[in-house]
Amino acid sequence: MAGLATADSITNPDEMFSNANINLIKARATHVDAQKKMIALSDGSEVPYDKMVLAVGATQVVPQIEGHDLEGVFTLRQVPDAERIRAFIDERKPRRLVFIGAGFISLETATLLSASMPDYDEMTVVGRRAHPLPFMLDTEMGLNIEKYLVEKGLTMKMGEEVTKIKGQDGRVSSVELAAGQLLDADMVIVGVGARANLELANDMGLEIGRYGIKVNQFLETSNPDVLAAGDCVEKTHFITKKPVAGQIRGPAVIQGRLVAKRLAGYDIAFPGVLMSTAVKLFDKTIAATGLTEVQAQDSEGFETVSAVVDSRSKHGMISGAKPWTLKLVFDKKTQRLIGGQIISDSQAPAKEIDAVCALILGEKTIADLTTFICAGHPDCSSEPSLEPIAIAAEQALQKLRK
Amino acid sequence: MEKGEKLVIVGRGGVGGPAAMLSRKLMPEVDVTIISEEERFIVR
Repeated sequence: MAGLATADSITNPDEMFSNANINLIKARATHVDAQKKMIALSDGSEVPYDKMVLAVGATQVVPQIEGHDLEGVFTLRQVPDAERIRAFIDERKPRRLVFIGAGFISLETATLLSASMPDYDEMTVVGRRAHPLPFMLDTEMGLNIEKYLVEKGLTMKMGEEVTKIKGQDGRVSSVELAAGQLLDADMVIVGVGARANLELANDMGLEIGRYGIKVNQFLETSNPDVLAAGDCVEKTHFITKKPVAGQIRGPAVIQGRLVAKRLAGYDIAFPGVLMSTAVKLFDKTIAATGLTEVQAQDSEGFETVSAVVDSRSKHGMISGAKPWTLKLVFDKKTQRLIGGQIISDSQAPAKEIDAVCALILGEKTIADLTTFICAGHPDCSSEPSLEPIAIAAEQALQKLRK
Repeated sequence: MEKGEKLVIVGRGGVGGPAAMLSRKLMPEVDVTIISEEERFIVR
């Protein structure tokens, strides 16, 4: 969409499957006869199965507000969506763009388009929560990002709701907020989440949960011959053990491979998701895993202790060192790590979120983390004395003594 | 799964592609088929 990669370069070619002796049928599965174990296709043919895997994904949600179907209103999920957006930009040259939603897809799209459309007049992000990336960052971290995005030229309308998309001659012309304000717009991109594709699952009578197809820890559905994985299934949060949508690529890929292992006879359980995500907004890389402190307190009833630590990407005497900030959130009762957030001016430190993720999965405590030692080198990490995971744990330890 | 059985995967995005490729590796004697309506499919 931003012109950084071609569509073909980011999709699996058909040859990858045919070279592996995998049959590829390009058609829509329209009906499944679970008793006969037969799948009906849109081309009129039928395909028999012994075991079936449902990997039918999710569809971007479009709020059913007035004007959602006007020309110039887009969602982004698949390659064709990106191609439609690019074609519209190239043809119509929109100058006033409004992004509905302040999650990572909306914001990354806005930042990429602003960099590739130097002649735009205004790009506005409208989000319902008080700050951007509300499911990744706590308030102090999120407000820092909002300030940064404004400095980079975006207009941020946080704590606002879009009630109507207005048009002229069938084309979008403005967006109306709940407070009555009108934002001029000749292009609108909606990024407010996705919903599991459940047509086939419903057709087969599979058990469905709040967020998708219900599966056990081995990704087996209520039909013993049907497994399901990815965006179409409901997942379990590793910490809260509650059902979540978890519609991100990481769990989808891992669940896809786990399905194959299950069918081959392995007994490896899916542990649940921590909603680990990363996003690059201009020169900042943001990553998060587990619960934010707000989620932990307000939604899950944890009493928390947390710490925010500033570090740098290289030793101080090396030129080019960039700052980064880590926040860790702990459950005060068990002292276990339950969440982490990183904002970094360079890309490498953001991957330290994977260490945080592994420490949560290992159910490590504040005391455990005070002795956590990272591999280090002057050119690719902070000094050991500035390694923020152990420092954050020490700060949390001190807070508990007060 | 047993030799000669048919595995059908509906979808070839983040789940379907990896599921098919690893199934082929782990179960070379199983017949693997992907059904996909998209010409090109990827999700973030």
